[in-house]
Amino acid sequence: MSSIKMGKAIQTSPVFEKKTIIGQRVTKPDAPDKASGRTVYINDMVLPRMLFGKILHCDRVHAKIISIDTSAAKALAGVHAVLTGYDIPELKFGPTRDNRTLKAGKVRCIRDEVAAVAAESEQIAAEAIGLIKVEYEDLPPVFSPTEALKQGAPVVHEDHPDNRSLSYEFSHGDVAAAEVNSDIVIEHEFEVPYVTHCCMGPGCVIADFETNGKLTMYSQTQYPYNYKMDLAPAVGIHPGDIRVIQPPVGGAFGSKLDVYPFEPICALLSKAVGRPVKLTFSREEEFINSPTRQPAEFKIRSGVNKDGTLTFRSVDCLMNNGAYTSWGPTTPVIQMRTFTGHFRVPVVEYKGLAAYTNSVYAGSFRGYGNVQATFVTASVMDMLAEAVGMDPIAFRLKNAQKPGEVTPQGSKLDDCKLRECIEIAAEKTDFLKKYKLYAQDRVNAGRIKHGIGIATSIHNAGGAKIHKSDGCGSILKLDDYARATLITGASEIGQGIDAVLSQIVMEELGIPMSDITIVNNDTALGPWDVGVHASRTTFVTGNSALRAAKAARKQILRAAARQSNVSAEQMDLREGHVVQADNGVSIIKLDKLLRQMHFAEEPELVMVSEYYEPDSELEDKNHVGNLSATWAHGAYVAEVEVDTETGEVKVVKMTAVQDVGRVINRLGIEGQMEGGISVSLGYALSEQLQIKDGKVLNPNFRDYKVPTAPETPEIELHFVESDCKASPLGCKGIAELPAIIPAPAIANAVYNAIGVRFFAPPLTPEKVARALHDQVPDNTQ
Amino acid sequence: MINIENYHRPSSISEAVQLLQQGEATIVAGGTDLTPQIEAGARQFESTLINIQRVEEMRGISVTSGRYRIGGLTTVTDILESTTLAADIPVLVEAADHFASPQIRNAATLAGNLCNASPAGDMCIPLLLLDAQVELVSWIDESVSTRRLALCDFFIGPGKTVLQKNELLTAVEFKQPVAGFSASFQKSGPRPALEISTVAMGFAGVLEAGVLRGVRIAIGAVAPTPLRATATELVLEGRSLNESAIAQAVEAVQEEVKPIDDVRASAWYRTHLSGVYIRRALALFQGVTAHAA
Ligand SMILES: Cc1cc2nc3c(=O)[nH]c(=O)nc-3n(C[C@H](O)[C@H](O)[C@H](O)COP(=O)(O)OP(=O)(O)OC[C@H]3O[C@@H](n4cnc5c(N)ncnc54)[C@H](O)[C@@H]3O)c2cc1C
Repeated sequence: MSSIKMGKAIQTSPVFEKKTIIGQRVTKPDAPDKASGRTVYINDMVLPRMLFGKILHCDRVHAKIISIDTSAAKALAGVHAVLTGYDIPELKFGPTRDNRTLKAGKVRCIRDEVAAVAAESEQIAAEAIGLIKVEYEDLPPVFSPTEALKQGAPVVHEDHPDNRSLSYEFSHGDVAAAEVNSDIVIEHEFEVPYVTHCCMGPGCVIADFETNGKLTMYSQTQYPYNYKMDLAPAVGIHPGDIRVIQPPVGGAFGSKLDVYPFEPICALLSKAVGRPVKLTFSREEEFINSPTRQPAEFKIRSGVNKDGTLTFRSVDCLMNNGAYTSWGPTTPVIQMRTFTGHFRVPVVEYKGLAAYTNSVYAGSFRGYGNVQATFVTASVMDMLAEAVGMDPIAFRLKNAQKPGEVTPQGSKLDDCKLRECIEIAAEKTDFLKKYKLYAQDRVNAGRIKHGIGIATSIHNAGGAKIHKSDGCGSILKLDDYARATLITGASEIGQGIDAVLSQIVMEELGIPMSDITIVNNDTALGPWDVGVHASRTTFVTGNSALRAAKAARKQILRAAARQSNVSAEQMDLREGHVVQADNGVSIIKLDKLLRQMHFAEEPELVMVSEYYEPDSELEDKNHVGNLSATWAHGAYVAEVEVDTETGEVKVVKMTAVQDVGRVINRLGIEGQMEGGISVSLGYALSEQLQIKDGKVLNPNFRDYKVPTAPETPEIELHFVESDCKASPLGCKGIAELPAIIPAPAIANAVYNAIGVRFFAPPLTPEKVARALHDQVPDNTQ
Repeated sequence: MINIENYHRPSSISEAVQLLQQGEATIVAGGTDLTPQIEAGARQFESTLINIQRVEEMRGISVTSGRYRIGGLTTVTDILESTTLAADIPVLVEAADHFASPQIRNAATLAGNLCNASPAGDMCIPLLLLDAQVELVSWIDESVSTRRLALCDFFIGPGKTVLQKNELLTAVEFKQPVAGFSASFQKSGPRPALEISTVAMGFAGVLEAGVLRGVRIAIGAVAPTPLRATATELVLEGRSLNESAIAQAVEAVQEEVKPIDDVRASAWYRTHLSGVYIRRALALFQGVTAHAA
């Protein structure tokens, strides 16, 4: 042991063992403030001189605007501005540029914004809205995509006379021939509903147009850098003149992955009044105006040979585009990957089409199209297994891909863990024994029937290259006290990235979590990132932070090596010290070293910047390319009880097995998976935004039923750690699969329990009771 | 728009009804019905808001010579936690247990539940089984005036009661049920917590020498008001509990309910559930009485 002389005493250098924070359970740094009510959410924020905005949404679904009278609203004391679509230039925005902020000419759905007010208080703004008189002339509406595509249907956008919005086509192999050569072919239709995100923090934005023409947006956005680009055309300024600040938000789940009209409207109000303006949705406005998950109708034909080999899969997807295009109708990009690439299907075909209607429109929502695709494919896999007389496990194992296979669309399954996931799920749940027992019990009398069901899926787990860049930048600096600040493009919307990034910095630099600050809420500071979506944040921004941390580590160790007889390679950073890697003996305290570097003759600061771009490809025009740097699978098993009289389905247990690459924050991954399962539970059993004739019938938590704690099942999680080669960190993106797979596992379990197949979630008690009633004469009659 | 000009916090019934007598007033108790209705624009405040929370004499559960009295301001939590009721009238506690969430139960009052007159009001159901009476107080000729009325005559339609604008519902009263009285409460919904009833059913009766007596059936959310299913009661009255009586009761109740289609459920499902619940109620009753015998 080395020792140094200090005064009279001889002090031994401290020794530090090698410890790792990766894979441990780490509390999110923002959790204590959130739990104790200290966090200032965007909804709580007040800026000096701030006014309050409010929007008049139309009460029609398709109508000409004849006149708008704002005189009474303008005359109301406390009102500073009243805007209509006739006061501003026609500025189109949205992914296909078919939306505008305040509408003029006509309105196309119940969400349409016809006027906006900025006033001294929310009450005055609301009163002013009530004073605006709009005269409409109703036009014939169209609500169903099938109707909308018919000749002579009402036209939603005059420049799209056939009501066709986005469309997709992919094919691989000869479907007609495959069909002829298949032993069994089945065809089914599915329909998936409108569901909504239910963020605890309703829509909110504060816009501050400064006198220099620059705009600061305090926004809930989950993609701040692209947001500037998408917002600019709606406001009519240069993207470079927009600064986005992201205060803490109450959830996003994909709902903040686009610009919605209220945001540029708020900016235009701020411009009109020269003051900051805040606009907040009530819960009812939130239910009506925030984007939904994309509803769709599917027609699927699949073939199988008697030995259980899948032969082909052909899918037609018809989407209700609603009145405008947000990200909902673009979700086929991800959905298609599951239809064409989940299990080894030699011949595949996918067609997707979105039709404009006078209904509300969909955006992105955790799972991005794969929720719908997985409900369909996982149900059909069970039907095919039954058709060939195989059990659901053997049938899936027979068709599961092996590592190294490439799907028809070019998804490279280098470290495919599908088989492991299925095998572990079956073993941990004693699947086959229960499955057979429950199926036999169906014919017996008894009010409660038990069922078990499995579902699997695949999802992009190394980002998704839907923009030219899918990368993220990181700037890392250390101060004289060995406190680190990571300035990152990663957005924190509650998913826990701050904890993960802190762990990565801690692991490399050996400083405690409490000495690490993450700065990630201001586009003026942070380097580029593509936002929180596609399960990409830990994978992309984590690997970016890892590069920065490694670069800083290298600089530190190089400096330490200069003044010691130990080489940089033989050193490590542990608990605030530079140590000898082999025995952990401290060479120098890190803060002391940093000060020495700073105050040296040739001074240097530890201050690095790195950029990480995952190794993925943009799709070509035929939808081929390895869209994600890596892919992950999961297998989930649901165990249910069905009350055959009331139709109530109770999920007793959910066992989730997922390829996660490598666990970074164990607590975080558990939270993500449990939360995702809850979202999917709602999709399976209770959630549906009921829309009739274009109007939302249940815009409240009383009648829009999100699962609550009592109906949350016991959850058992198993992580398959593949140590992903495509990821320097070894991790994969994990956050969407838990929201994707459980619903069809539940539907399959219900089938196992009662022998009824459901083609349209949610499986409400009424739907289940009705199906059972229609199947057998009601024994209560 | 909130246009409240006067706000009062009376501390006695007499003070409250005098304020009510002046007209144009809205009463607020727990506010758990009123607030969402105002927020949704379904209802407007009158110019005077009377918060009755300080009228202490309207709180509490008491028994005097076999007559139970529950003050109008008694909360659903008070009912849930009442040891008296748990021992004597467990069906009231059962209904309270199925009611909303702890937060809502802490605020929600019995009078508010009755005066809101939702066909899905849960506390109405057990009280209808108990032949409860409501006590309505007003200020007439410079003095407090009280009338009592059977709860089944109190409701006249969704959100409508016979309560006059100058009246305050101060208490609910009912007699000690007869010996052998057995009652049950069932409530459905896809979500066990925080559920507005799709159908709620109360059943009560006594088994006397093998036959059913004093049958009471009350059903929520299947008609414009909480429903006393008197026709079905008659089918069962005096019958011994065999399969044919049960089958007839199912048929009768499905005939008697008059549900509508709404966002929560279809008329078909509510009718179906009424059948399921009466069957279960009778099975429960059979179990309990067999056990007691
Ligand atoms: C989330 C949620 C869940 C709910 N779940 C349930 C449930 O499971 N079951 C159920 O039955 N209800 C439920 N409700 C409805 C509500 O909580 C109950 O009806 C409650 O009992 C109402 O009582 P309150 O004191 O809050 O009434 P308030 O809202 O204060 O008043 C309701 C009405 O009664 C009038 N009123 C109140 N007191 C008196 C009085 N003493 N005399 C005359 N008029 C009076 C008021 O003017 C108003 O019109 C729920 C409500 C919410 C918000």
